[in-house]
Amino acid sequence: MSFRATPRRSAVANAIYGLLNPIPFGCFVAALIFDVIYAHTAVVLWGKSAAWLIALGLVFAIIPRLINLVQVWITFRRFATGAEKLDFWLNLFAIVAAIFNAFVHSRDAYAVIPEGVWLSACTVILLAIGHIAIAVQRSESGVLVHE
Amino acid sequence: MSKITHVCALAVALTLALSGCDEKASLSPAQQSGNDPSLPKAHNFLKPPMQVPDGVGWAQGQMPKVAAGLKIEPIASDLKHPRQLYVLPNDDVLVMESNSPGAEPVTTPKQLIAGMVKNRSGKGAKGGNRITLLRKNSSGGWDKHDFIDHLDSPFGAQLIGDTLYVADTDRILKFPYVTGETQITAPGVEFTDLPNTINHHWTKPLLASTDGKKLYVGIGSNSNITENGLEVEYRRADVLEVDVADGASRIYASGLRNPTGLQWEPTTGKLWAIANERDEIGADLVPDYLTSVQEGGFYGWPYSYYGQHVDTRVMPQRPDLVAKAIKPDYAIGSHVAPLGLLMTTTNSLPAPFHNGAFISEHGSWDRSPLSGYAVVFVAFQNGKPVGVPQPVVTGFYSDDESKLYGAPVGVVTDKDGALLVADDVGNTVWRITAASR
Repeated sequence: MSFRATPRRSAVANAIYGLLNPIPFGCFVAALIFDVIYAHTAVVLWGKSAAWLIALGLVFAIIPRLINLVQVWITFRRFATGAEKLDFWLNLFAIVAAIFNAFVHSRDAYAVIPEGVWLSACTVILLAIGHIAIAVQRSESGVLVHE
Repeated sequence: MSKITHVCALAVALTLALSGCDEKASLSPAQQSGNDPSLPKAHNFLKPPMQVPDGVGWAQGQMPKVAAGLKIEPIASDLKHPRQLYVLPNDDVLVMESNSPGAEPVTTPKQLIAGMVKNRSGKGAKGGNRITLLRKNSSGGWDKHDFIDHLDSPFGAQLIGDTLYVADTDRILKFPYVTGETQITAPGVEFTDLPNTINHHWTKPLLASTDGKKLYVGIGSNSNITENGLEVEYRRADVLEVDVADGASRIYASGLRNPTGLQWEPTTGKLWAIANERDEIGADLVPDYLTSVQEGGFYGWPYSYYGQHVDTRVMPQRPDLVAKAIKPDYAIGSHVAPLGLLMTTTNSLPAPFHNGAFISEHGSWDRSPLSGYAVVFVAFQNGKPVGVPQPVVTGFYSDDESKLYGAPVGVVTDKDGALLVADDVGNTVWRITAASR
């Protein structure tokens, strides 16, 4: 419970968010790399690995996305910056693309290509823009870049 | 902001709608039967068509339906996943109680989920890994004897002279057989090994040549369509010919995705096979088939189907092999999953069921509505299939397609010329005879 005039985000929620939020981005970046390798080599190891990375990325995204949803639109609504709102929507679209991508990656063998590569790229670009937006906003407000 | 919210809500709704979208079959099995089945355009799906009834087994006294002029009765029940049947010269019936060795590793998230869905049907139940012998007793009933135990997913069996050959999933075993015995306790001796990696398709049907010098073995592919890599398809998706004298084997014919039944066509003496074709490119693709098997012939898998219909899921592509792919003789409908084949010229059923092939169709999962789940009869004239498959035994699932009572696999005729059908979901062997007038 905070008694300050400005509402503060919960330290616990922030800790969980800070711990889990980077994991999906790492998974999706690796998935994109593996998809590109699979598209070039047709060695099934890469395609299957990308499928796991996308599935795992989605699972790890559940808790940080829910925390972000609550913080941006409920508990911190009046104080959420434009960059934070943009980041929320970019993440949502990225997750939608990744869900499509998980289904595309359930196809057999080379049927994953090319849609799988495009959706992986889409997911990574959306998340990357969100990360950049937040980083730029924080450098402007003089806060450490670390989330 | 509310506009953005609407756009986003729409995107989420679209995802759910698309992920749930699948395609209903638009062609009936009859339209996809015969020597020139109509083949729609192939699709890649977000989620392939999928419909699996819940396996519940047969209630007391409940039985499959049979065509007019026939009657059906159970002759053995409480079996452990009876798959293939084989009749010995003294008319004892062998029942191979078997299922997948379950050794295929889960290497994709999809396998994790698809495995759970498919097992609801009861088709994934554990097999007995044994052979049970059924013998008709003097009171008209059938006695069950434990014939051979401790096998490893046995499917095919053939007697040559006094040696019984049993095809486990990994090798062919030899057992000494004495006419009339009801149990073999001697351990099996390895005769020859069979392709045994992954075992995505694990059944190994056997057929001996009439002179007893060769054994033909159906070997299924190690994937739907090469998603486990091309290297694990070595000597897969083919019919092997094994020399009975020394166990040496060679590929007799290739490109048959999963040849689950082999028979000699009685009038011409030619080798015929049933094969399960590929999934996940449509409810109406690709029809399973019945075909004569030419020595050295290539039947398309994985690069193409029905001759030169290229499958784009395979990389690298092989136009050189596609060009020489043989079109199978006779389609029997998409996703019906033929697992049992019997070619006959005479039996004790009515005359329309004489010259032709009985095919047991284990039933679909990659199709809605359901297809297969029946024993059908394909009439032959001059050694070639004609007309459309006629249903012989049906009623394996409930009218609303939600419950599965049984699924037919092995099909043979006994000494009285009655048709025997193994049912691996109902764990029963059924006997079909002409209805008395």
